[in-house]
Amino acid sequence: MLNMVLSPLAVVATTFNAGDTVRVTISFNYVVGVNTTVKLQACPYYTNILGKHMVNSCVGSTDLPLIAASTPTPQSATVDFVLVPKANGGIDNGTYGLRIWIEDTDAIAEQDSVIIVSGNSSGGIGDTLTSIMPMLMMVMMMGMIMPMMQGMGGGSEE
Amino acid sequence: MKLRTMALEVGTLGVNSNPQEYTAGWYVDPNTGQQVYYDPATRNFYTQAGGIYVPMSYMNTAPKQVTVAPGDNLKITVSFKYTGPAITGACIRYCVGVYGTFGFTEDLVAIESFNIPQVVTPPSVANVSNSHTFAIPTNIGSDWNDIYVKMYGGTPSLGSDVVPSYIFGYENALIIVGTQPNITEFKIADFAKA
Repeated sequence: MLNMVLSPLAVVATTFNAGDTVRVTISFNYVVGVNTTVKLQACPYYTNILGKHMVNSCVGSTDLPLIAASTPTPQSATVDFVLVPKANGGIDNGTYGLRIWIEDTDAIAEQDSVIIVSGNSSGGIGDTLTSIMPMLMMVMMMGMIMPMMQGMGGGSEE
Repeated sequence: MKLRTMALEVGTLGVNSNPQEYTAGWYVDPNTGQQVYYDPATRNFYTQAGGIYVPMSYMNTAPKQVTVAPGDNLKITVSFKYTGPAITGACIRYCVGVYGTFGFTEDLVAIESFNIPQVVTPPSVANVSNSHTFAIPTNIGSDWNDIYVKMYGGTPSLGSDVVPSYIFGYENALIIVGTQPNITEFKIADFAKA
């Protein structure tokens, strides 16, 4: 008999506009022997056949002080990150996961497909040119190669 | 940081007025039922494995674990039943460190001197105790989780420091909370537009 427990998603998918600031709230328990400060970080990530990839331009971080505690102590914190628009070298429209972690520890949490980004402009003349540039290059190359091929063919007939 | 004092009962050490009272031969350990051999020359018990007499280890599994962090105080208490003459100037060496294949690496060491009054009637409960409190330093290693104590010296003597007759320890008695945080149940509680 299968004994399965399905856990609900920790968070639900939310739509943001490029340029928005996302505030992530986290919770955890910790023990540490001395007062210390850790770096809490968060960013969106996408997944393809090569694995998961962070959108480095959107990483947000904050310093989080921890008071020494020798028994597990609950702690919550927030960290902000900006969905930098694609036009500024940032994130494209699409659906992304959310990753948070604490630097130099094994504390990491992820949730797939919870950040939906929209609002990046579909572009003016620059974007259009960028998208058709590969095709234009192909056409130009064909235009150069075809006359050469015809010239070679004529030589062999003589 | 808030200081905390924790007590760790090391156990009972049997001290006899005449350690030679055991004769050479086989005995049964009342705690384990294991047959052990006593050698009065070395004043030690041995088990036999593959035809070889193996000295019984002085390290034992700790009956409990105590969590300590830098700045905490760790109190180690020794108690035992004693019958015999009064002893003056005996020593107890308290050690915290790492017990491994090549012995015990003593990282925290303290020696307490104490006297024992004459006791004629064998007591039913431990009638002698001694303790030492260690201040846990900030550079404590995450593997300093073993402790041991040994008694020696005094007049009349309890024995040698180098080959002590009364030595006892616990493995994995401590859980060390170091300078690096240990984080559990790390999760995303919520996220929204700021």
